[in-house]
Amino acid sequence: MTAAIDSSRASVPDLRLGHAKALLRQVGSTLGIAVPVFFVATLITFLLGVVSGLDPAAAIAGDAASPKTIARIRADLGLDLPMPLQYLHWMGEVLRGDLGTSWFNGVPASELIFQRLPISLSIAGMALLAGIVGGTALGLVAGVRQGSRLDRATTLFAAVVSSLPPFVVAFLLILIFSLWLGWLPSSGYVPFSEDPAGWLAAISIPAVALSVDVVADIARQLRTGLVGELSENYVTGAVVRGLSRRRILFVHVLRNAAGPALTVLALKVPMLIGGAVVTEAIFNMPGMGKLAADSALRGDVPVVQGTLVVSILLILACNLCVNVLLGILQPASRRRN
Amino acid sequence: MIRHVLRYPSARAACLILGVVAVLATAGPALAPHDPLAQDTAALLQGPSAVHWLGTDALGRDVFSRLLAGSTVSVLASLLSVAVGLLLGVVPGLLSVFLGKRFEWINLRLIDALMMLPFLVFAIAMTAMLGNGLVQAMFAVGILITPVFFRVSRAAALSVANAEYIEAARLMGASTASVIRRHVLRKVVPAVAVSAASMTGACLSIVASLTFLGIGVVPPDPTWGGLLATDLANLYDRPFGPIAPALLIVATVWALNALADAMRDTGTDNKEKPA
Repeated sequence: MTAAIDSSRASVPDLRLGHAKALLRQVGSTLGIAVPVFFVATLITFLLGVVSGLDPAAAIAGDAASPKTIARIRADLGLDLPMPLQYLHWMGEVLRGDLGTSWFNGVPASELIFQRLPISLSIAGMALLAGIVGGTALGLVAGVRQGSRLDRATTLFAAVVSSLPPFVVAFLLILIFSLWLGWLPSSGYVPFSEDPAGWLAAISIPAVALSVDVVADIARQLRTGLVGELSENYVTGAVVRGLSRRRILFVHVLRNAAGPALTVLALKVPMLIGGAVVTEAIFNMPGMGKLAADSALRGDVPVVQGTLVVSILLILACNLCVNVLLGILQPASRRRN
Repeated sequence: MIRHVLRYPSARAACLILGVVAVLATAGPALAPHDPLAQDTAALLQGPSAVHWLGTDALGRDVFSRLLAGSTVSVLASLLSVAVGLLLGVVPGLLSVFLGKRFEWINLRLIDALMMLPFLVFAIAMTAMLGNGLVQAMFAVGILITPVFFRVSRAAALSVANAEYIEAARLMGASTASVIRRHVLRKVVPAVAVSAASMTGACLSIVASLTFLGIGVVPPDPTWGGLLATDLANLYDRPFGPIAPALLIVATVWALNALADAMRDTGTDNKEKPA
């Protein structure tokens, strides 16, 4: 991401400051970009509701309602205000944590969302974890043993997977693990608090299906990073000084080679959170994505906007984490220059 | 350029696949042996046979005919999404290099914000709330892929913006428009073509995801993604069901990616040894 690259460049003179201070600066500059982005993204979300031209007043009031009643309901919902005022009003409520109420059943949107959030977070979080672990492992092996059979297999895997839509992977996994082997359920969700083992069984196929793409991309980026980094002079120097291969790889090379992989990871998070929608539909789980899709089809604007706002916040938070991580890793790679 | 690309065996295979897909997309509905919407209650959930090559679904509709009939919409939707993305991405991408700091800043923040949107959720929300049709889906996907084209064309334009020959052209009184047309586009078009090819594949998969959820194309109209959805519902009766539509999607996406790779490789080859 440009943001990550720009801010790391800006932190070069910070090396003389303490490490913590440089890190705080990194957080500050990332937030400086994240805040305007949040407002633009939520503005787009708000405008979506306006452009849709959906108006629930007539539906809520019923067939026999007088125009006066309809006007009163519109005023209650704040739909009679001019558009910029509507936005400010909406934004103010959002910042206070109020996402409005569903136009269809009057339940607060935040309540609907937070009931379903654990499901989506379970899938997306587990997919993220699987993607990081799997991608790092494959990328490490491929990067260290260039040209080996495993390296070529990884490259092939990455090429094949990048042309597979996640739901095709989900089909294959259901066929193998649910229909043939009968090890894992093909639908339904079990809350972690009720049955941790059942929870893991329920989310493992969807999470893995969602993660293959991340595994492939991380492995590819990490391999490229490692190949470039391992040919640097400081690696030869470390070998000459008699450091162990393991120490060279994990202490010195990996943190320098991880940059591109981390940046790609940050870009994958919106895909993961969005992709959870399809996965939830395949596995028939009542997650946030399903809520968004159902509400959008019903024209339930506040709930759709609420899910989008929550997703955007999640994505921005993940980006912040990745940028801070990059900030921790980068000073070491900058010292070389 | 085309001859150079075709030196790669994978690119030749890709062209072959894309040729077949193009035939399916243009003539598919006419080639279908049965009416894709006709229900035959006497033949529900059948396996492959001489009459129904890929069997029938839960409503007794011929799956092979539905696959052929769905090709047009599936392919057209992804092509048009890319067209929307190209238009909305490349033009501001180029102009952001030439139209001054303020225009650039606004564009960059807009693109940042677009990249932070949860892709599929937003595409679904936008399509469904604006009336759940193919046109809406196309625009939603097109707008969401805009950042890819913006960044690619901007990067390509930046690489030549400060070149001496462009400075020379400006000194000779060339306008921004003619500089872009005569010098910058030459650099931008190949780069954009590569990402357009791979994005067409990505869009095919995205459109399939949307139609899989019943967004963009409303049943009973057949699409590749919609076929996958009905096949999933009947997975226990027809476990082989998803294979044909999935294979078609995967093959097309792979072909587009392979073509993009070959185009990129020829591009870098030329750079390494200028003829």
